[in-house]
Amino acid sequence: MPKTLRLVLPHGLMLLASVFLYWAASRIEADTGGGHRIGPDAWPKAIIVFMGLLCAWEIAKRLFLNARADLHGVVGGLAREAEGEAGAPAFQLGKLLAGIALVFGYVIAVPYLGFFVGTAAFLAVFPWFGGLRRPVLSTVCGVIGSLALVVMFMRVAYISLPLGEGPFEQLSIWLLAAIGVS
Amino acid sequence: MEVLANLATGFGHLFTPVNFLVLWVGLVLGMLVAVLPGLTLVMGVVLALPFTYKMGVSPALILLTAMYVSGTYGGAITAILFRIPGEPMDVPLLWDGYEMTRRGEAALALGWSLVAALFGGLVSAVVMVLLSKPVAGLALAFSTPEFFAIVFFGLASVVTLSGSSLVNSLISLCLGLLIATVGVDSIYGAERFTFGEPFLQDGIEFLLVMVGAYGIGEVLTRMSTGFAGEAGEAGGGAARFRTAFPTLAQMLGMKATFARGTATGIVVGVVPGAGATVSAFVAYGLESQYGKNRDKLGKGSAEGIVAAKSAATASVGGALVPLLAMGIPGSGATAIILAAFLLHGIQPGPQVFVSSPDLVYTVFATVFLGVVGMCILGFFAIRPLCKVLEAPEAIVSAFVVVFCFVGAFAARNNLSDLYVISAFGVLGYLFERFDFPIAPLVLGTILGPLAETNFMTTMVSFDNDWTIFFRRPLSGGILFLAFAGLAWPLVRATLKRVRAAREAHARAA
Repeated sequence: MPKTLRLVLPHGLMLLASVFLYWAASRIEADTGGGHRIGPDAWPKAIIVFMGLLCAWEIAKRLFLNARADLHGVVGGLAREAEGEAGAPAFQLGKLLAGIALVFGYVIAVPYLGFFVGTAAFLAVFPWFGGLRRPVLSTVCGVIGSLALVVMFMRVAYISLPLGEGPFEQLSIWLLAAIGVS
Repeated sequence: MEVLANLATGFGHLFTPVNFLVLWVGLVLGMLVAVLPGLTLVMGVVLALPFTYKMGVSPALILLTAMYVSGTYGGAITAILFRIPGEPMDVPLLWDGYEMTRRGEAALALGWSLVAALFGGLVSAVVMVLLSKPVAGLALAFSTPEFFAIVFFGLASVVTLSGSSLVNSLISLCLGLLIATVGVDSIYGAERFTFGEPFLQDGIEFLLVMVGAYGIGEVLTRMSTGFAGEAGEAGGGAARFRTAFPTLAQMLGMKATFARGTATGIVVGVVPGAGATVSAFVAYGLESQYGKNRDKLGKGSAEGIVAAKSAATASVGGALVPLLAMGIPGSGATAIILAAFLLHGIQPGPQVFVSSPDLVYTVFATVFLGVVGMCILGFFAIRPLCKVLEAPEAIVSAFVVVFCFVGAFAARNNLSDLYVISAFGVLGYLFERFDFPIAPLVLGTILGPLAETNFMTTMVSFDNDWTIFFRRPLSGGILFLAFAGLAWPLVRATLKRVRAAREAHARAA
């Protein structure tokens, strides 16, 4: 990706989002009772316009002015000093994508697998993709951890969590009966 | 006298067996989340929230408040002993606390940290008790322009005090305010930004934004840079796990530092959106400018520890004042305490002092006892707390994700909410990656409805005359302060540039 594009990409996307949101705000319909009363679109429109202007300013600044001449909040100096001391860790795109996939995968799978099985699988697999190459430890933590969470949430805190479908539902019901949840 | 009687009632509630047990559970959990790699104080309080759904309101608030109090201390231990800041607020402790450890004075550094936390925490608790009711009384006299001005001031201060770019902070805030407008609006009943999705008609709960951006977002950020390995150097010598207190004479010699740090913590804590981290940094900055031994700061000076730690703990009492008196959270953790109030059908604000004084004073008593309990734990539990560091971050993070999902799901039993928090998790990661601060986004989502309602009501009541906000003395004064705060980084940068140009000119001459 060209450096210039990379420099303005986040604010460019936010600017596009502002344009889209302004269009969506223009479609808000309400009966304001006539007269000059401001409607329900006024507040979001004002914010969107301000956000769009900020994005446009930042893009212009990065393209045409010195990008380093940035204004920071009052604790900015000390915080950046601390960050500089720690040093920036290396970015790993593969791990990030795996993390996002696992998070969404868990959300999709839990209604079918039920909380116990879905969580045990997630707890066992996630550390592997996070770089912990100890499958036995992860699996044991996953199964025991998931069981502990079922007891904690469903037995102690009385939170109703997904049971799953088909055989997984049967397993969840059996497990709940075993820990005394009817 | 009435305050003391109410406080005694609060302590009475706290000393019932269940509440007392919950207090200690909260204190231990707060310490753990502050020490555990991959967990922050705000995340910890978020994760504890689902356990409070089925609790009574008193134990729920005691648990979360106790976690908030002790979460401001735990990270100091690992920062001083192992150079691992458990929380961002503990970063200043690396500069002086860890330096003292390298000189073989770890026990004394821990002692200074403990004394500073105790002093800052107790003084701020007293101020909180004395200040809350008068502030609530003042808030009762507010009309909608004043409430709008107060909320605007809070939002502006989040931006002003942020460590990130001012423009990015403002964009983050705008996005938060826009998220708060999703759903059916409260004045006209019009649908906004629902895009035909039924689940968006109820709006997006700020809890989902918070859990997603702080919890899932932080996990993704850490995963993208590689989780920390196991154990590290946390195995350290047993001799390091003890605390040695400074003498009374030493403490009296540093009374100005104690006073400056505590006062800074309380004042910054009261400002909505600031919290313990900003307090610690500002207090450290003040100490480095005005301290008696400012030249020694950053080289293993006890003043650095006292300034940062007393301010961080003092911010707790400060942050609870706007929450309880006006219903405006002063920090990330108090935003979750606000959520706990709302989940139990109680709106914090001036009325709560009339309708539920028992509850308010139970929270106050929790802060007092929490500060003392935190110090007791901090003194006796150093060794087990340090053992916690050996937990692999990848496993801890996996549990964090599960807790986030359960917390989000259990609030409404709605699977769509899980997709929402996952999406906000990705957004939180992107914000972190491109230097957009998350705090303004979250505070914008929380305070947005309050700001809009008061703005719209004022406009309707005063015939769309926006100058009313500036013509009323109180709202005008507050808005002036807010704009002055927003302009300050610009003024400061201009002054710096002028000074640099003058120096360059002088050198050339």
